[in-house]
Amino acid sequence: MVLVELAKILHVPVWALRGFLAPLVYPGLAVLLGTVLFLIWAERKMAARVQQRVGPYYVSPKLHGALQLIADGARFALQEIIVHIETDRLMFILGPILTFTFLTLPFTVLPGGPGIYGFRSDFSMVIVYALLTLSPITVILMGWASSNKFAMIGGGREALLTVSGEITLALAMLSVAAMYGTLDFVTAVEKQMHTGIIGLVSNPIAALLFFLAMLLLTDRVPFDIVLGEQEIVQGPYTEYSGVLYALTMAIDYVKLYALSLAFTLLFLGGWAPFTTPLLGAISVYIKSLIVMLFSVFLRAVYGRMKLDQAMNFFWARLFPLGFVALALGVFVHVIYA
Amino acid sequence: MTNKEERDNHRPSINPVLAHLEAIATGIKWLTRKPMTLMYPDMEEKKPEYFRGFIIFNYNKCIGCSLCAQICPPRAIHMYRVPGDKRIRPGYDAGRCIHCGLCTDICPTDALDVSPVHDEVFEQIGSMDFDPVEWHIISKKLVEEHAKRKRKLVITRVDEEVGLRYEPVE
Repeated sequence: MVLVELAKILHVPVWALRGFLAPLVYPGLAVLLGTVLFLIWAERKMAARVQQRVGPYYVSPKLHGALQLIADGARFALQEIIVHIETDRLMFILGPILTFTFLTLPFTVLPGGPGIYGFRSDFSMVIVYALLTLSPITVILMGWASSNKFAMIGGGREALLTVSGEITLALAMLSVAAMYGTLDFVTAVEKQMHTGIIGLVSNPIAALLFFLAMLLLTDRVPFDIVLGEQEIVQGPYTEYSGVLYALTMAIDYVKLYALSLAFTLLFLGGWAPFTTPLLGAISVYIKSLIVMLFSVFLRAVYGRMKLDQAMNFFWARLFPLGFVALALGVFVHVIYA
Repeated sequence: MTNKEERDNHRPSINPVLAHLEAIATGIKWLTRKPMTLMYPDMEEKKPEYFRGFIIFNYNKCIGCSLCAQICPPRAIHMYRVPGDKRIRPGYDAGRCIHCGLCTDICPTDALDVSPVHDEVFEQIGSMDFDPVEWHIISKKLVEEHAKRKRKLVITRVDEEVGLRYEPVE
């Protein structure tokens, strides 16, 4: 294998090379940044198309405005970071940085293809879930540290919605774990390849719950209540400018990328039908890209739910449905066995 | 029947699953349609023959009668004294102008004329106020620049399929 050869040339153990490459190259930072840039462009372009507009165009007319995001990034990099006098200075600056760091950590255990992972653990699903749950804490702290009404309200909304969304996500993950009898992503994918039935078919309720919770946790429409532009400007990120604003904007997309990757692995069969690392990695990436594109496309279709509507929807409808999904998962597990 | 029951009976019944699928399908259908934006700086609507844009001024034809300043409804034209000239001459505040064209109608010597230029950009408010000599110079410049423009000219048509359609013209 290429990785083993590379480790031999560099005189480092293979596990260290894996642990270095997975979070930094694929599925981690390098691919992630390209994906985020593409995704924001695609989101704006798709929303524009549905509304019969053109969208970003004049930055690079030949590429239909694909370089718009790079131009925006350059602007953010050169902009002054304004920290106003009433902020809690340390937390205000550390907030986006910490959140972004927490959100890149799941890529150490999320496999991006057959044999492409930072390290393999029997509890990788739990690890990913736990690391994704860390980020709302810092987002709430950002809202508090900004010393701004909108940021404060945004932080409160984040707290409320996180609680209702993550319990649904946990139930969906749990039913999948019960279905495959494992808490490991790699084993889950192997199980799907072994039986030939992807998770979306064997447990559609869990897939739906996972997808809806993903939309809620990543502030996609119709659950973009935390960011609610028309109501509270940018939610917890209102006061940020410059590079820190670019980081806060990336937060939701990074989360979306991580969760789509998990969705692909658990419900879409991961790297099936390929078994070689390169083709498998491409398969996983394309599948998760389709999931991401679909979830950003919903911006053009739906309006925003109110806070009480979303909470009611998640606690009164989806939470009981989660137990149905769990029962179905156990049932399917018995059939598989 | 109470109010609430009445309301509930008149509420259209919506299938919660099918309605969502229908909404998404509609979104995807619209995604394939072409945008109906007029790509303005590259493309421009063809202006009618007597389009009233920026008023252009020919200093050499002017006789200094000041009729234009009298008729101008928003008082965009003021008469100035130019050093070395016996007569008073009109100056022009493009920021006040409403492009009514009355000044060009009343001008006895056709020193004032309408032009199809409507998108000249000024960076400061002060730079939109011209004295007679400046007005003469900028009029000449704008007419020359407009003749050099190479934009695609189109006519807008209302189309039932697309909404708005742009037909190129020569």
